[in-house]
Amino acid sequence: MATTVGALAILGQQADPATKRVAPIGQPDGALTIGAVIALTGNANLYGQDQRQGLDLARRWADALPLAAGDPPRRPLKLQLEDGGSDEATAIAAFNLLIKQGALALIGPTLSQQAFAADPIAQRRGVPVVAPSNTATGIPQIGHFISRVSAQSSVIAPLSIAEALRRDPHVKRVAVIYAQDDAYSTAETLIFQKALKASGLAPVTVQRTQLADNDFQIPITAILQLQPQLVVISVQAVAGGNLIRQLRELGYRGQIVVGNGLNTPNIYPICQRWCDGILIAQAYSPELNTPINRTFLQLFKDSNPGQSPPQITAQAWSAYQVLFEAVQRLQRRGGFDGLTLGQARAALMDELLAGRYDTPLGPIHFQQDGELVQGSFYVAEVRMDPGGRTGRFALVRTDTVTAPTAPAVSPAPSPSAR
Amino acid sequence: MIEALLQTLLNGAATGGVYALVALGYTLVFSVLGVINFALGALFSLGGYLTYLLMGGAISANGALPGWGLPLPLALPFPLALVLAALLTGLASLVVERVAFSPLRRRNAEPLLYLITSLGAGLALVNLLQMLMGAEGYAFPAGALAGLPAAVVVGGARIRSVQVLLLAVCAAAVLALTLWLEHSRSGRALRAVAEDATTARLLGINSDAMLRLAFLVSGGLAGLGGGLIGVSISLPGPYVGIGYGLKGLAVLVLGGLGSVPGAIAGGLLMGLAEALVPGEASGWRDALAFAILFAVLLLRPNGLLGRRLVEKV
Amino acid sequence: MIDNGLLVQMLIGALLGVSVYLPLAAGQLSLATPAFYAVGGTLAALLSTSWPALGAGPDGSLPLASFLLVLLLGGLLAGSLALLVGRLVLRLQGIYLAIATIALVEIVRVAILNLPFTGGAIGIFGIPQPFPTAAGYLLPALGLLALAGWVCQRLEVMPLGRAMAAVRNDELAAGCMGIDTTRVKLTAFVLSAVLAGSTGALAAHFLNTWNARQGSFDTAVTMLAFVILGGARSWLGPVVGGLLLTALPELLRPVGDGRLVLFALVILLGPVLFPQGLMTPALLERLGRLGERADQGEPQP
Repeated sequence: MATTVGALAILGQQADPATKRVAPIGQPDGALTIGAVIALTGNANLYGQDQRQGLDLARRWADALPLAAGDPPRRPLKLQLEDGGSDEATAIAAFNLLIKQGALALIGPTLSQQAFAADPIAQRRGVPVVAPSNTATGIPQIGHFISRVSAQSSVIAPLSIAEALRRDPHVKRVAVIYAQDDAYSTAETLIFQKALKASGLAPVTVQRTQLADNDFQIPITAILQLQPQLVVISVQAVAGGNLIRQLRELGYRGQIVVGNGLNTPNIYPICQRWCDGILIAQAYSPELNTPINRTFLQLFKDSNPGQSPPQITAQAWSAYQVLFEAVQRLQRRGGFDGLTLGQARAALMDELLAGRYDTPLGPIHFQQDGELVQGSFYVAEVRMDPGGRTGRFALVRTDTVTAPTAPAVSPAPSPSAR
Repeated sequence: MIEALLQTLLNGAATGGVYALVALGYTLVFSVLGVINFALGALFSLGGYLTYLLMGGAISANGALPGWGLPLPLALPFPLALVLAALLTGLASLVVERVAFSPLRRRNAEPLLYLITSLGAGLALVNLLQMLMGAEGYAFPAGALAGLPAAVVVGGARIRSVQVLLLAVCAAAVLALTLWLEHSRSGRALRAVAEDATTARLLGINSDAMLRLAFLVSGGLAGLGGGLIGVSISLPGPYVGIGYGLKGLAVLVLGGLGSVPGAIAGGLLMGLAEALVPGEASGWRDALAFAILFAVLLLRPNGLLGRRLVEKV
Repeated sequence: MIDNGLLVQMLIGALLGVSVYLPLAAGQLSLATPAFYAVGGTLAALLSTSWPALGAGPDGSLPLASFLLVLLLGGLLAGSLALLVGRLVLRLQGIYLAIATIALVEIVRVAILNLPFTGGAIGIFGIPQPFPTAAGYLLPALGLLALAGWVCQRLEVMPLGRAMAAVRNDELAAGCMGIDTTRVKLTAFVLSAVLAGSTGALAAHFLNTWNARQGSFDTAVTMLAFVILGGARSWLGPVVGGLLLTALPELLRPVGDGRLVLFALVILLGPVLFPQGLMTPALLERLGRLGERADQGEPQP
């Protein structure tokens, strides 16, 4: 047995691609690969589908960009998608696979939960990661190579609370509900509760559910007995849709503020006409009038007539865009010549952090630790069409936020710091 | 105070009703074959999706046939769709029997092997559902319970009408099942085979046919549960049945293997226990259910109402 | 293709298969392995990240000796838990025992999720590494497997092992023959727990992150499939079953969307085509005879 395993191990031991030299442009292996690990299966796949579309549109846009006269040839990029599933193990396997196959950088994974598990692997191997949808605190701080284009919940979540309180300054009783076995939900609800406290409100109840729950009769009953005027929800999309519908069916008439998990049109079929009126803070607005956003909107509408792009698609586009632009900038300075893949990855990370980008999300850049700096955020209200089948996120407020202060960077994340 | 208690009781009874349905599904097969059908959870999911499709729902963008749905004239109203879906699920259960149980019975395999083959059948079914329907949530068309108010007030307690419906249908199904087992020819024949297959055969009862009947009804019950859960809270994904399958298994053991009243009592007990856990501590809810199971098994090793397994020397 | 990471995961699968096999060899259908796996993994994650005495470096490295110590402690904690719970649980029979152990798995999972120091939903990540690459874990995993195999092999000739076989064949008769059936069953249960706990500790370091989801009911039943498909007559069965069935979903990746259906079909058809598992008694006998002939071929001392 030992000999078999040993033989297999030797077979599996290929030369680490990080030591290979990057081929010049024009040669067949001169194209560098950007790997994308998104949830194509499992219950997060409704986010993954939207991300896949964002990445595809961005790639098509980038490939079709005209070369200005006098510009050096562009470094060709390949986009390779791998299914990260909705659990940590699949994301880890996908990361490992792409790194082994010589990816220059990685986009993903879809869930914050997966990021905590898979990002340290990329960090150890020195592979840049741009997260398109992780919002939990602490992710870019995993290491130098980890960055994100999705604003963290600590920055955008309070905006929806502020809007709800602006609409009804007399709110006294607030109920909070979140999924306690999900990293994103537990992180976001803390932000919501902090924002409430800053406004002088303490929740009359904090209900906890599980990721797998879809029947909320019990927590809703407990909530309604306390007659809140505002309910704040941090759960994933399908559960959220069910929760909102059941809340309304059981007679709740007050305001509802929801978190990033519901930032997708996929809630419409679940909560249907009951989705109407919920408030959500967003990092993207289709109504932003910049050239790049107009381009993005045009390309999106060509593939999806009559629909508006969800935030998560815009973020996926932006993730690809920042990597593409950083690669081309590095290439223009002769950056990849003579480097090994490992050195190229490190150079790319430095270039990425130093750049400024004009994305559909607005102008963005990165802090030194990889955290996103984004100028404008939005609050939207869901308005459903009379049929109850389709709707839109109607922009109700734009907020310009000053750069978030960098959280204290600790050398290694420890569980007690949570 | 009374309202809160009543609310809890109603919540618990509604959930418990579905658990009891699943547990009864297990009981039927167990009493005749002596093994657990691990594919029952998958059949639960199947029932939910079939009900959705029969009501004219469309397959989502991630499924195999995006946007496909039954043409409107063929779409059935909810009660019909539910019954038809339950029937079709029963037929699917027969297929499972053919594929996962018959080959082993022919070789007189040991009971453990049935666990594995039925697990494989269940997994295959769930993944086929995922390939066909995609993994996202499906909510039933809003007009499913046309005419019913969203919620009713029962003695001061608010409960969603669909939960009342759920409770009513579960109760009706359980009653129908009990009556059938007690008083009808086929029901009594089934019980005879469960009691002692050899004697039943000597009395002229076709035990193979009875076995297939058990699978049919068992699948029908699971499918019914799936359709009810679907209309009540939506179908979050093909794996929805697995969770109910596990709870149903716990209820089966809690009530005592092979005991129909045990399954019913166990289901209600489990549902109530879960309803009594306050929302702030919902994390412990699953643990409570299993802790109760644990405790009951320690005190009564054959479940609440199970027959003592007499070992023949 | 099989890379070193997958190889380590296959070995972990084999180890867990043997852990499920041990109580089965004494006639007990216990599915408690994931609970002990989770306990071992959680202890390892906690110790390696928060116990300074282990000497985890700022670059995320861990001395080998500390790693081995953590493996041992994981196994010991799991074993102690098994000792506590075993006496209660092993009074149950057949499917009741199986469900009770599943209940145990769920209770442990929820406890780990809800206890304040185990990291909650996020779990514990950034677990210090004793080896720079996945390949480093091959040796400890193989070592643990070899140790488990040696124990199982010894059991077959020891009186304890024969008592286990007797209990498995007919518990009532074994009791009548004067065998302390409770002690025999408990020993098998505790051994299984120690193996699962150490495997959990190994896995926690290998995966570099750990949370409550690592040990759950569906993994329990899949592990049972390792044993049944590999063959329940000898410890080699779950090893083969564990290696194959862990590798299969990853090897099937090229198939695309249908790979899990294919995997399920393998589980469905396995017991039908191989009712005694892959390591059938006939095959084991032949392997045994090969071993004998090799012995005979050697010159006499």
